[in-house]
Amino acid sequence: MARFRLLLTLPAALCALAFSLNAAAADLPQVKLFTTGGTIQSRASNRDKMMEYTDGRKVEPQELLDELPELKAIARMSYLEISNVGTPHLHNTEQQLQLAKAINEWLARPEAAGAVVTHGTAMLEETAYYLNLVVKSDKPVVVVGSMHPWSAISRDGPMNLYNAVRVAADPKARGQGVMVLLNDEIDAARDVTKNNTYRVDTFVSRDLGPLGYADSDRVVFYRKSLKRHTAKSEFDVSKLTTLPKVDIVYAYQDADRAPIDALVAAGSKGIVLDDSADTFPDATKDGQAKGVVFVQSDRKGSGRVMLSEKAAGKGLVTADNLNAQKSRILLRLALTKTSDPKEIQRMFNEY
Amino acid sequence: MQTFDVTFVRSLRLLLGGVLAAAAAVPALAADPAPMAAVVPPEIPQSIPMEPAPKNAAALPHVVLMSMGGTIASRASTRLNITNYGGKGVPRVNPEDWIHDLPELANVARVTTEDFRPPEDRPTGPETFADLEMVAKRLNELAQDPSVDGVVVTHGTNTMTEVAYYMDLVVKTHKPIVFVGSQRPWSGLSGDGPLNLYNAVRVAASKDAWDKGVLHCMNQNINAARDVMKTSAYRVQTFRGPNAGALGFADPDRVVFYREPVRKHTYLSEFAGVDYKSVPAVEVAYGYEETPGYLIDAMVEHGVKGIVIDGTGAGSATTSQTEAIKRAQAKGVMFVMTTRTRSGRVQFTPRRREANILSGDDLQPEKARLLLQLGLTKTTNFEELQRYFDEY
Repeated sequence: MARFRLLLTLPAALCALAFSLNAAAADLPQVKLFTTGGTIQSRASNRDKMMEYTDGRKVEPQELLDELPELKAIARMSYLEISNVGTPHLHNTEQQLQLAKAINEWLARPEAAGAVVTHGTAMLEETAYYLNLVVKSDKPVVVVGSMHPWSAISRDGPMNLYNAVRVAADPKARGQGVMVLLNDEIDAARDVTKNNTYRVDTFVSRDLGPLGYADSDRVVFYRKSLKRHTAKSEFDVSKLTTLPKVDIVYAYQDADRAPIDALVAAGSKGIVLDDSADTFPDATKDGQAKGVVFVQSDRKGSGRVMLSEKAAGKGLVTADNLNAQKSRILLRLALTKTSDPKEIQRMFNEY
Repeated sequence: MQTFDVTFVRSLRLLLGGVLAAAAAVPALAADPAPMAAVVPPEIPQSIPMEPAPKNAAALPHVVLMSMGGTIASRASTRLNITNYGGKGVPRVNPEDWIHDLPELANVARVTTEDFRPPEDRPTGPETFADLEMVAKRLNELAQDPSVDGVVVTHGTNTMTEVAYYMDLVVKTHKPIVFVGSQRPWSGLSGDGPLNLYNAVRVAASKDAWDKGVLHCMNQNINAARDVMKTSAYRVQTFRGPNAGALGFADPDRVVFYREPVRKHTYLSEFAGVDYKSVPAVEVAYGYEETPGYLIDAMVEHGVKGIVIDGTGAGSATTSQTEAIKRAQAKGVMFVMTTRTRSGRVQFTPRRREANILSGDDLQPEKARLLLQLGLTKTTNFEELQRYFDEY
């Protein structure tokens, strides 16, 4: 039925292309699409609705594939639906663990070439960095989203998805860790951040720039990350059913220590301080006395928190150039191994 | 009085050597339109004692500090003169002056100096191919010298990234070669030269900087020679890679690398380790509304073997240029297309292949020119030349 509709709605030339390539399809790399939802799987009631676009029917994984018959020329596609929600709803640990396990299962299969994950853009960078630390494979994993819903005029979703599959199917992308692809740009999961609320060029790696580009003529790489990731990562979530609770406290003028105290009381095992305030050192000391590990991050959005003997002397871990939300991800995984600040500092230096 | 002070300090240095003079603490000069001083000191706080010399100085890496001059090797009459410095009668900063002014270098490396500046009375800067050849040859020698751990090359900022890229292609080395310059003269108020130089030496002394190709370090950013370009005429944050960003940073706590370049360079380059006495002539033609084709005809008449068209947008030539390109191709001239947008790639499209125009990838035209010049020393085969642009 889906194929029938496709024949009716797409230009005949495209269909001819897709079907003529079926013969060679057996030789194509196999890419699995793991769908979690997000704007890329959202439809609005109107084509010009670019915000509050949750009033249309969600885009099912099969529909993503059906609307992109061009994929048949570059990969053999399959999919697994994890969820179909916007990012704010995908921060439950259970689903994060399920996603990692499913991707690891797929990539362990010899026929698997790569994986693509659809995701809402708001917290896409966190899931991407988490996968960068827990995927046990050199094969490419590409996290993709869109800024305009699937139903919008000049929607960016289809091209982003098409390019994500190209990168996931490309042997040159092996060993690059988990990548984020929107707007032709291939970014490293570790370094990329969402930089703009609505525009399509939102994802940038402020300190380091992209790894490469998915251009029409070819997928091209200019950089390779030197940080530990994926196959070289020491973190393993295969036997875990939960992850330690870690939270973030933002700093500002006259910031109160109350959030830190409240989180310690609520059972946080780690707290990321996003910048510093006068009241934090005492609160940190009290938290540390109860076994909570503190990481010093910075709210400026680029640049590093330096390694310092002073901070180390206080048992404070410095976050290098990881932003607070990524520091949180690394600290959660670090705490599955140790609560020694020195050892956790090593991890922040290496990942 | 001011002249007297400075002259006195200089004589003292000549008499007693650098270390004693450093302790003599030159007073900072006020902005003063007074007659030109013989030597204007660097804009570095003079009253701060330096850290004690390390005990294991002999074990520090050996870094060769090579001067090709530049703003970083220039002085001006006053501290506020940061645009009209150097020139006749104004003493240049000699390599040994850097060592004298930055005794802290002794804490990070054993620094020796080499002077590759053109003679002071030569009217041109270090911008001829002979200058490139001389430096490339020396860098290849230093690469083979087991007593050398790294090299820093100073250069004027205007053309330094293409010079660095040339070295990236022709020097066969695993060792760091770090290009550095400054936006303000050595004597300029809040001059960036001293810290840039200090950081460049730190990078060249870093084991983590090996195998990364020729590097560029200013404003704490470590960039790859291939990708970095000057993007601002006077501001200190001028150097960046529009398509591929920094490899790492020379931060106060440590020199830190996050990335390595994927494109071929130095020890992986098939052009490396060769002393090119000359390379085929290649020129650059800029694209704009109504660019006439006769500029290309003139280049061909002049005997060029290749031309880089710095085209508009995705890499387009005007109709008049396109006709001239066909005339030139009939005479065996090779063309490569870059884009004046400076960011983004010129893609390899079927139409471009039909027109026999090489795609310059994301190279700036001045760098595409050097790669084509080196490529043409090996082949005039289109596919082979395109492979160079795809791989380097």
